[in-house]
Amino acid sequence: MRSTLKAALAALATVAFTSGGTFGDGHSLTGNLKIFLDTSNPAPRATMEAMIGRFQEMHPDLEIDVTVIDREEYKTQIRNFLSANPPDVANWYAANRMRPYVEAGLFEDVSDLWQDPEIAANLASTKGALTIDGKQWGVPYTYYQWGVYYRKDIYEELGLSEAADWEQFVANCQAILDSGRKCFTIGTKFLWTAGGWFDYLNMRTNGFDFHMSLAAGDVSWEDDRVRQTFANWRQLIDMGAFIDNHQTYSWQEALPFIVNGEAVHYLMGNFAVAPLRDAGLTDDQIDFYQFPVINSAVLLAEDAPTDTFHIPANAENKEAARAFLKFVVSEDEQTEINNGSNLGQLPVNAKSSVDDDKFLREGFAMLSTNSPGGVAQFWDRDAPAEMAKVSMEGFQEFMVKPDDLDRILSRLERARQRIYN
Amino acid sequence: MFPTPIERTSRAWQLTYRMLLPAALIMWLLPLIAVAIFSIKPAADFTTGNYWGWPSAFEGFTNYGKVFFESDMPRYLLNSVFITLPTVAGAVILSSMTGFALGIYRFRANILIFFMFVAGNFVPFQILMVPVRDLTLQLGLYNTITGLVLFHVAFQTGFCTLFMRNFIRALPFELIEAARVEGVNEFRIFWFVVLPLMKPAIAALAVLIFTFIWNDYFWAVVLTQGVETQPVTAGITSFNAQYRAAYHLMSAGSIIAALPPVLMFFLMQRHFIAGLTLGAVK
Repeated sequence: MRSTLKAALAALATVAFTSGGTFGDGHSLTGNLKIFLDTSNPAPRATMEAMIGRFQEMHPDLEIDVTVIDREEYKTQIRNFLSANPPDVANWYAANRMRPYVEAGLFEDVSDLWQDPEIAANLASTKGALTIDGKQWGVPYTYYQWGVYYRKDIYEELGLSEAADWEQFVANCQAILDSGRKCFTIGTKFLWTAGGWFDYLNMRTNGFDFHMSLAAGDVSWEDDRVRQTFANWRQLIDMGAFIDNHQTYSWQEALPFIVNGEAVHYLMGNFAVAPLRDAGLTDDQIDFYQFPVINSAVLLAEDAPTDTFHIPANAENKEAARAFLKFVVSEDEQTEINNGSNLGQLPVNAKSSVDDDKFLREGFAMLSTNSPGGVAQFWDRDAPAEMAKVSMEGFQEFMVKPDDLDRILSRLERARQRIYN
Repeated sequence: MFPTPIERTSRAWQLTYRMLLPAALIMWLLPLIAVAIFSIKPAADFTTGNYWGWPSAFEGFTNYGKVFFESDMPRYLLNSVFITLPTVAGAVILSSMTGFALGIYRFRANILIFFMFVAGNFVPFQILMVPVRDLTLQLGLYNTITGLVLFHVAFQTGFCTLFMRNFIRALPFELIEAARVEGVNEFRIFWFVVLPLMKPAIAALAVLIFTFIWNDYFWAVVLTQGVETQPVTAGITSFNAQYRAAYHLMSAGSIIAALPPVLMFFLMQRHFIAGLTLGAVK
């Protein structure tokens, strides 16, 4: 009897939660709801329009007006429209990317939504990324994992297993190099791929909080802890673990090395899986694991760039906007918009289910349960744009000329003192 | 002064020439050949590193089909037409009138005005980029086809005026004098005497301007954004998705975008070559 009652209550709670505004607010929404989106590519656009269609069905009296702006154009227009002609809902990115608008008072504080115990529990993994000054400024709607993608068939051929710690990682790499292959493919022409390596090496060596302090400009680049990160990186570079001439390739142009078995790993986001499958690799040949532990004293933390929805501070229909944000993060909507036929990424709601795809399943489990240190947004989203650019140029230079580390770090330190003041 | 015609050179040189010519041609066309081959390859060839080899499968129909039916390319092509044709018409009409005025009438500021038209051609685009963008923004013409057309007309009229004025100067002035003696008014002289004689110049100029404007990328990117207004040259980049660049579709799109000027060239070859030299001779 008790258990059935509990189940019934749970079911009721789910209904109330997923149906957002109607049950939660007790009355239907009216007025206009103006939504600005940057999802201009065909598939994400269709996904968003379908999702808004479902919201419209729940609130037939609401006049919803959607404007889709080209992704790149959106980046230059957002400051302008947030202050001059604000919509009620706009999408954007978490962490440092939203900081300028939060500090300019252009985003609405939505901490009240995060007070909801359901949301607090189910979106815990990204709460840090949406928090500035102890308040939350938006909700996430999708993210994707980063990690080590590797050639399983070559691992089996060489008798290797997924590395859990740095020693094994390096030993695996040595075995791969001895077999005449390279360990890691990478194309650093556009710099950000080197930023991914720095994220992981620094988070594993010094932890998430240190990494964030460095991104926020609170730590010197000439600090010994930063040097330790580069020393670990150098260990791989000196082994010859990375492919040659990586500074001339884009990330896509570095794919053939792993496809043709000339390199075995690719530290990359989950979007690398689609082209690898297109190239004819089966799921028996490619696999994924979490970047291994380097310093066991720090908690594991991951890169998972998160896309978000915000309410502009000058929005007119904040009540409907809040209902919409609640609707977006609900368990069912999260499952639906992130599935393989829509965005093909990970739902941010821990209760949502993911497609039957081994990479999505592993990534979802990793981010929801095995990233206790926090979720980083990627170096060029966590650090201010100018610092990110200068530092990623430094990372690339370091990968090519590791002997110049001192000069590179002193340059980054000078840049830090200039940029953050 | 002129090179000796090839048929009058030694046998050995003739053979060398015949062998070198195709080699030079292929070298010259290599980038275009690469784009053409890329456009029939499947996407997977770029992930397996098969850039220069034989395509692993013939995907020409799929790629071109996608470009036409699953992308915004038709819209971009249409935008290009809507930008190019009015510009050609506007620039040619304006410049035949300015050319007539500057070529026929002798007044004090004639040379000064003519130099101002010519001088405009020597201002680099890049210097104008920011002021022109701000101007179109303030006029409310930013991101409109009208704005782009107006700007192109304004900018091309300088070159066209140089071209037309020199052409009209070369016409026998007696014709105009004869008409004046007959008491024909100036508008009718322009319309019935000068304009018919300018037909070759107009044809040549139209072909030339069509190619210039169709191939314009710089102003398309500076003054327009998005699928509603951008011409095909700028639209090709829309094949770059959030994470991946679709090289095969971009190549197919480029080939299609390049076809109208190429067709134009072959259909109007005579005028095109005349156009390149016409303004220069005088």
